[in-house]
Amino acid sequence: MEEIKKQKLAEPIKCVEDKWKLLPAFLKVRGLVRQHIDSFNYFINVEIKKIMKANEKVTSDADPNFYLKYLNIYVGSPDVEEGFNITKPISPHECRLRDMTYSSPITVDIEYTRGTQRVIRKNLPIGRMPIMLRSSNCILTGKSPAELAKLNECPLDPGGYFVVKGSEKVILIQEQLSKNRMIVEMDRKGMVSCNVTSSTHERKSRTVVIMKKGRHYLKHNSLTEDVPIVIVLKALGIESDQEVVQMIGTEDSIMSQFAPNLEECHRLQIFTQMQALNYIGSKIRQRQRWGNQNKTKADEARDLLTMTVLTHVPVVNFNFRPKCIYLALMVRRVIEAQGDSFKVDDRDYYGNKRLELAGQLISLLFEDLFKKFNSELKKIADQIIPKPSRAALFDVVKHMRQDKITNGLVTAISTGNWSLKRFKMERAGVTQVLSRLSYISALGMMTRISSQFEKTRKVSGPRSLQPSQWGMLCPSDTPEGEACGLVKNLALMTHITTDLDEQPIIKLAFNLGVEDVSLLSGEELSSSEVYTVFLNGNILGVVRDYQKLILNFRLLRRAGYINEFVSICSNHSHRCVYIASDGGRVCRPYIIVKRGRPMVTQRHINELTQEIRSFEDFLREGLVEYLDVNEENDCLIALYEYLITSETTHLEIEPFTILGVCAGLIPYPHHNQSPRNTYQCAMGKQAIGTIAYNQRNRIDTLMYLLTYPQAPLVKSKTIDLIHFDKVPAGQNAMVAVMSYSGYDIEDALILNKASVDRGFGRCHVYRNQKCVLKKYANQSFDRIMGPLLEAETRQPIWRHQVLDQDGICAPGERVKDKQVLLNKSMPVVTMSPIQTGNSSEQQQQEYRSVPISYKGPEDSYIENVMISSNPEEAFLIKVLLRQTRRPEIGDKFSSRHGQKGVCGLIVQQEDMPFNDLGICPDIIMNPHGFPSRMTVGKLMELLAGKAGLLEGKFHYGTAFGGDKVEDICQDLMRHGFNYLGKDYFTSGITGEPLSAYIYFGPVYYQKLKHMVLDKMHARAKGPRAVLTRQPTEGRSRDGGLRLGEMERDCLIGYGASMLLLERLMISSDQFEVDVCGECGLLGYSGWCHYCKSSCNVSSLRIPYACKLLFQELQSMNIVPRLKLKKYSE
Amino acid sequence: METPNPAATPKEGQPSSSKAIIYVCGECRQDNEMRPRDPIRCRECGYRIMYKKRTKRVVVFDGR
Repeated sequence: MEEIKKQKLAEPIKCVEDKWKLLPAFLKVRGLVRQHIDSFNYFINVEIKKIMKANEKVTSDADPNFYLKYLNIYVGSPDVEEGFNITKPISPHECRLRDMTYSSPITVDIEYTRGTQRVIRKNLPIGRMPIMLRSSNCILTGKSPAELAKLNECPLDPGGYFVVKGSEKVILIQEQLSKNRMIVEMDRKGMVSCNVTSSTHERKSRTVVIMKKGRHYLKHNSLTEDVPIVIVLKALGIESDQEVVQMIGTEDSIMSQFAPNLEECHRLQIFTQMQALNYIGSKIRQRQRWGNQNKTKADEARDLLTMTVLTHVPVVNFNFRPKCIYLALMVRRVIEAQGDSFKVDDRDYYGNKRLELAGQLISLLFEDLFKKFNSELKKIADQIIPKPSRAALFDVVKHMRQDKITNGLVTAISTGNWSLKRFKMERAGVTQVLSRLSYISALGMMTRISSQFEKTRKVSGPRSLQPSQWGMLCPSDTPEGEACGLVKNLALMTHITTDLDEQPIIKLAFNLGVEDVSLLSGEELSSSEVYTVFLNGNILGVVRDYQKLILNFRLLRRAGYINEFVSICSNHSHRCVYIASDGGRVCRPYIIVKRGRPMVTQRHINELTQEIRSFEDFLREGLVEYLDVNEENDCLIALYEYLITSETTHLEIEPFTILGVCAGLIPYPHHNQSPRNTYQCAMGKQAIGTIAYNQRNRIDTLMYLLTYPQAPLVKSKTIDLIHFDKVPAGQNAMVAVMSYSGYDIEDALILNKASVDRGFGRCHVYRNQKCVLKKYANQSFDRIMGPLLEAETRQPIWRHQVLDQDGICAPGERVKDKQVLLNKSMPVVTMSPIQTGNSSEQQQQEYRSVPISYKGPEDSYIENVMISSNPEEAFLIKVLLRQTRRPEIGDKFSSRHGQKGVCGLIVQQEDMPFNDLGICPDIIMNPHGFPSRMTVGKLMELLAGKAGLLEGKFHYGTAFGGDKVEDICQDLMRHGFNYLGKDYFTSGITGEPLSAYIYFGPVYYQKLKHMVLDKMHARAKGPRAVLTRQPTEGRSRDGGLRLGEMERDCLIGYGASMLLLERLMISSDQFEVDVCGECGLLGYSGWCHYCKSSCNVSSLRIPYACKLLFQELQSMNIVPRLKLKKYSE
Repeated sequence: METPNPAATPKEGQPSSSKAIIYVCGECRQDNEMRPRDPIRCRECGYRIMYKKRTKRVVVFDGR
């Protein structure tokens, strides 16, 4: 018996095969953009009701009997109003096409008084709420792929964005320092301070305890100067010095540091609470306030301490004790950190960060709008009720206008400006248009996190990769340049929590042995025997056996008695236990390990593959749990099974999940130099490919599609998980790594002309032209006219050749530059009403032709013409234009390893080298791209791809795993190839064998959106700016090429004065002026108006801008005078 | 040829009011004959997105 047990204990832990299968199961329930959707669902179903409850009553000063009470609030399902009171459900795609907002009505049940009557109204609309796609109220949720296809929606589309006025808007995830937490900081001078940013629904404030000249002070925005901390404590009701000291700590080290504070308090002669309150009252910043000025200083101080200082600590019936304890702890933290820099908190630590999602941001906005809505109702009630001459009784319902809330939400989301006066919040760029360059770019945008830091500040802290970001944020996916490290991306398995109810947790904590803080004295609180327990930044109490508390808490959580997203962790340096149930924490699932064995066994995985078991079952049975960043610190997480020791508490599900969506596309990223992966993350978003299954039904402003997209030969598990192989962006090109001609230097690629003919890199570019036929205030309207006919032939004129009888271009036609797509004309008079004359005069309204014509160096074809009406009943016409482009010299390509290059030469297939099987490469890449870049992953991709095509299967290049090179080489050898992937090649030009073996095989290549056709620009002469008469700027305006300041400096330095003159004046804005030699002013046609003579007037050439400057100076009462000299003198 | 003939301007094709053009409904693919300034709504299904039919003129593509 003993023997067997020993053997069993000694045996290595069995690897659970296909443990990664937990991941698709995870993504099935959570999804890639689950965090957005969860957060929005929480807002729509829970938070909005809380907001209503908090602002449920509207009363009036005019009539004490009047009230309006909200009973309930609902958000319906998206619909559109068709005519009067008839609504019809609407699909997101119809909104996109018709430039509408995908929104649903917000309805309320209210109870109010009409006169003396009490009225209850149900389902009263108060506005419209834009609905996030795939959220609980969206019509797409729970639909099968076939049903989605019927609605013109792609089943792979993740949702999580809004459709506002026809454009898709994402509310980016915002990163912030967590609210209601103490953060101890040290500034550059070594001064320690403890900050708390308190935030509740009503108020937001920042409270700081700082150390100055050995004494501690409370700093707050509403105080004109810093108040000694002892005075604050006395004002809060702790009058005896002994109690104060006990509260902060009776250790010698702390007492000695704290003593000067007491001295100062004595010096200021403040001993009682009243004195302290008066002292604080005199330091309050006077704000412009009307009305109730009758408050005493002490009352004001008391109000301030209750309401604004540390708002998140509740004060019930002016019981300041919790606030005292909290403040005392802040002081203690400062004193502790003064001697020990390890006690200073790290602001960049990810456990101190909270991510703000769409739901929270919209809830802030909605609350603001709802409050405004209510105050407006109150204002109306105040105005109307006192008026005696009223026919009907005052009925608030008649004054409830829907547009306030609707427009507020729509404009905020469509502009991205979040401005809330209540919180003094003014944020721009919160929303962005969902980039639909490719499927990956859209997905990548949904996982993007932007932080609130200034981009200009040169601090490395917030930008650098924090160890606590492990597994939560992608280490590779960040932009280069100024936003580097400030814009981040979520990793594959990250989840962001939503707010959870605190009450059951508080109750549970007390049952598990936490002693309530209000029952304890200061001495007991700061005792070294106990740990303080915090819940969401508030002190709950103390606990003697913290380990037991944590253990029991976790057991209860695993058993499902507490929500899985509640986290508990201990902090030994703070001597605290932190329980968190707030929203915005990042967390991630792990397999639980007990007694050195992972709880998930092969049996569970088998059941998972048989679909008997889901991810939720794993959670429910306590096999897997979510850990947030703080709790990870309390755990020992093993990366692989063989690393499990007896202390291990958790096991990683799959290591490749530390990467995000974009980095997950790279095969063998763990063999690449790290910046190369970062480059690929940026470039993967620019790759042309497939957007979604509904791409051909979309009418976007700009859309790039690959004609023949291919799934990559070397896949990764991430590719499978996000279905990149179903909506790919790239093609498998046969690549020969060799030098060819001189056109491949500096990363240029040589393309095979025959491959290009067969469709390699061929893409479609779709553009749209939009036009709205408006109705104007004076009953006139825009119209479109049929094509103009030529007098003799009765054929349409050239410009109107593509138009149909209705004045709109016909699908299928080819349009050339300057041809008209839509022959629109606009009434000349739009504002003033038409003169009341006879009706025939009305018909004779004057129209101005405003045709929409095609511009572009290359012709386009009309793919489609959509005619619809937007909700304002105006006609909306969208024309979709198509171009098919084959690769040309200068088009940009890239492999998946940050190896971008432009096409340098397109070579006839006859001149391409070929191997012994007669295979020609599609792309020739210069080997100089490898040594300095160290993208070994690309070499391995080539090898794996080559073996894969010989075997007829896809190889995997998953990060930290994937197929081994050794096995791949064996495969190659078995098929009679060189095991290093090198082939014998013959030159296509000379017919001789090449003197080296060529590394040859398939590599997945992406065509990037930067194409020569969109960038080429040249100008000899062209348009000029009206004001300066200089050539215009920019390609879109057919502008000139600027000879800038630095170029000018070169010419000056060289002394090429005539060239300078020619560039800067003659070819630019030369102007002939007449200048009077006598007065030095500009004359006119040989006559000086100042001297009234033509004696000394001479003609010279100056830049027009110079003449303009002189005249502008004259207009400001400055006289510039020109002094003329003879050329020969 | 490119300059619009001023003589032709008053005639301006047939001022589009008289001509009705056939559009295709985006939902049920039903042909709908519509005049300018008609509300855009399918007679069969009430859908409000219409598409134009392909041109009858010959279009030559160069296959490259």
